[in-house]
Amino acid sequence: MVRAVPGWLRVGAWVFVALAAVFMLAPLVVVMGVSVSASQFIAFPPNGFSFRWYERALGSPAYLNAFWLSLNLAVLVTISASLLGGAAAIGLSRGGRSGGAVETFFLSPLVLPSIIFAIGLLMLWSAVFGPTSFQALWLAHTVIAIPYVIRTTLAVLAERDPFLEEAARTMGATRLKRLWFVTLPQCRPGLLAGAFFAFNISFDEAVLSLFLRNPNLTTLPVQIYGQLEFSPDPTVAAVSTLMILITIALMLILERMLGLTRFASG
Amino acid sequence: MSDLTLTNITKSFGKVEVLRGIDLTIRSGEFVSLLGASGCGKTTLLRIVAGLEGVSSGKVEIGGSDVTDLPPEKRDIAMMFQSYALLPHMSVSDNVRFPLRMRRVGNREEQDAKVKAALETVQLTHLADRAPRQLSGGQQQRVALARAIVSNPKVLLLDEPLSNLDARLREEMQVELIEIHRRIGLTTLFVTHDQDEALSLSDRVVLMNAGEIEQEASPREIYDAPATAYASSFLGAANLVPARIEGNVARLADGQTLPVSAGSPDGKATLALRQENVDFLDEGGLTATVITRVYLGSRHRYILDLAGQKISVLAPASVMLEPGAQARIGIAPDRVRILPA
Amino acid sequence: MTDRRETWLFLLPGLALLVLGFVLPITRMLVLSVQGPDGFTTDQFARFFQDGFYPSILWRTVYLSAIITAVCAVIGFPLSYIMARSGPRVRLWLVIMVILPLMTSVVVRTFGWMVLLGRNGLIASTLRDFDLVGRSFQLMHTETAILLGMVQVLLPFMVLSLLGVIVRLDPRLEEAARTMGCSFLQTMRMVVLPLAAPGLLAGSILVFTLSASSFVTPALLGGPRIEVLAGSIYKNVTQTLDWNFAAAQAVILFAGIALLLVPYLRLGRRAHG
Repeated sequence: MVRAVPGWLRVGAWVFVALAAVFMLAPLVVVMGVSVSASQFIAFPPNGFSFRWYERALGSPAYLNAFWLSLNLAVLVTISASLLGGAAAIGLSRGGRSGGAVETFFLSPLVLPSIIFAIGLLMLWSAVFGPTSFQALWLAHTVIAIPYVIRTTLAVLAERDPFLEEAARTMGATRLKRLWFVTLPQCRPGLLAGAFFAFNISFDEAVLSLFLRNPNLTTLPVQIYGQLEFSPDPTVAAVSTLMILITIALMLILERMLGLTRFASG
Repeated sequence: MSDLTLTNITKSFGKVEVLRGIDLTIRSGEFVSLLGASGCGKTTLLRIVAGLEGVSSGKVEIGGSDVTDLPPEKRDIAMMFQSYALLPHMSVSDNVRFPLRMRRVGNREEQDAKVKAALETVQLTHLADRAPRQLSGGQQQRVALARAIVSNPKVLLLDEPLSNLDARLREEMQVELIEIHRRIGLTTLFVTHDQDEALSLSDRVVLMNAGEIEQEASPREIYDAPATAYASSFLGAANLVPARIEGNVARLADGQTLPVSAGSPDGKATLALRQENVDFLDEGGLTATVITRVYLGSRHRYILDLAGQKISVLAPASVMLEPGAQARIGIAPDRVRILPA
Repeated sequence: MTDRRETWLFLLPGLALLVLGFVLPITRMLVLSVQGPDGFTTDQFARFFQDGFYPSILWRTVYLSAIITAVCAVIGFPLSYIMARSGPRVRLWLVIMVILPLMTSVVVRTFGWMVLLGRNGLIASTLRDFDLVGRSFQLMHTETAILLGMVQVLLPFMVLSLLGVIVRLDPRLEEAARTMGCSFLQTMRMVVLPLAAPGLLAGSILVFTLSASSFVTPALLGGPRIEVLAGSIYKNVTQTLDWNFAAAQAVILFAGIALLLVPYLRLGRRAHG
């Protein structure tokens, strides 16, 4: 469409995209900048350059404990959400008349604001089990991660050849063999992408973790939030930068293995 | 209605040269087909005329004024797309009204009258209030046609509009297009890869190959007297057989000879033999080996080995030869077209 | 085992978890909101609406969310159109620009805005340097700060909703409109915008809902004095420990979102025919 888009609009579009990029990325860049500042105060552009805040963060038991808790949690959530979500997606892809309603139900944690579900879970857990525990967080994060696994897996399954399973049947594959040799390999890219999202969501999640927190149950985002509320210093920036880097690493792996654009517009 | 003149049009996408110097003039009211295989540049040329694509160099003139730098909406053209491109959120009549509305042609009543007339032309008045997705492919195609002719554009551009229809509908639409064109006589540029469509619809056929015009002529002329080997193989799928011309005969690779019209220079040449011009004889003529026979209902198609060359020949259903048999074939000397090797 | 039974076997574990970990908690919250010492009561709701303080919080939540949604739509539509119509390389970079912030913790992004918007932050000091604002100029702890931060947090949701619809639009429709006399901008208005409406609608619903229910960004950027409904719920749960009142506020949030969405959903259904 060379002739079809007027020149001033093309220029305008580039300016617009550039401004949008600055707006979207500025907060991240600023955090990274602050983290290497030599000054005691939070300032951007940074004064001087040093890694002392990283040393401080890595030497802080509060941050380290929060990090290990978050990592443990994210790994377990990835496993549970992938298993349950993957199975559900396979079930949903086989359809049936009630498929639409069941799918809506499975995806409802995406639509319903998590604050509403967080407060309910806190109340229920306290009534039944008493103080919140690691298991409560695991359950909560699994519930909100499952819809992502289902969506990515269903998206992949929607593109597959619907007759493959029947073909396998005519070749004598039993139920379990069909699952192992036909269905699961087809799900793989979606399941993998869903697992990445599940890890990312659990590791970065703040709302549920804030509601379910107690002094022994502080995830990394909650720890950062606490610091921001009271006394932010560049150590928070260092920890935040490490979180950004983990996100970037996850994104790079996702793009390399599966392609980001594929799951971005689905 | 106006002339369309293209002067030395070139177009490159990056390093790929898609059009290499196209010169073409279409007279007012003429129906011209751009015929060619996919990738020959015919659609790009059409999109350049529409203004949807810019030129690398050259000039596009409509009705004597230079429109090369005008965007599509300022060119007063109409285009019919292969996918019809009906606006799905508008009814049939709103789709047909759309170009009038955008170009501010007349008031509401005048627009109504024009929409009605256009829908009558394509016999769809009864579906005016439907949504496009409620129509069959053939009906959608007619809506697209009504929408293209309603604003009485200076040039009508058709981009393979019949290729998504099944064979029977396509023939019906061809007849209809001919009649509509005869009645309202718009200057029309029609892109197709289907030679039958090009031959039956147009006043003139422009055969394109690799970004250049291979030959332009009337349908009869381009079919009967293709100027190049490409033209003769593309039109009517002629068999191309290498030979040496020796006066009044052509000598094939295996030494058999075939009488041809005098006048061609001696030496290497290519014979273009149309499948429907080859006769099966009881005796005499050339000898060829039957490779395959295909039953076509009213007749047979034979694939023969003639002097080491596979050729395709049509024969009456009564001719029955088994694979491996020797067939005797002949071609009238004035039906053998001699092309430079 | 029948195929049908096998299908349910796949669905069952997830369904069970969702019932236990999602449906039951929400039910519990609904129950608590109307539970008093002597059984059923609507006292908590009466308390919310009688006091002038809480309705003002509700009103702020609604109008801030409406503005945030509108701004996201205005920025998101051209951005997703550009994404949908650009080549694969450019599109990848634009997707990264949208997804990287989305995948970064909301706490981290809000921290970035705190630095940018602070009294001596980049924005305020630049504006002061050019004498555009006075010495006492303050961006942190204003509604503008919440707005800026929230738009950045929620824009990806709008863009991804729109992108899913716009990439599926046949570009020939736009070309056809051009050949029929539409300028580029008219084509946007007459063809692309109406056809992208379902994505715009879905994106708006999502952004509005998320905006009305978020408290991390508003609490950190708006400060303690500019409270929104979700922040009030959080405070009641963790500080004043008034759980029944918190549950009632959550029900109001829930109902308010549903109330605003019903006409939207109706509209959407009509657009789909």
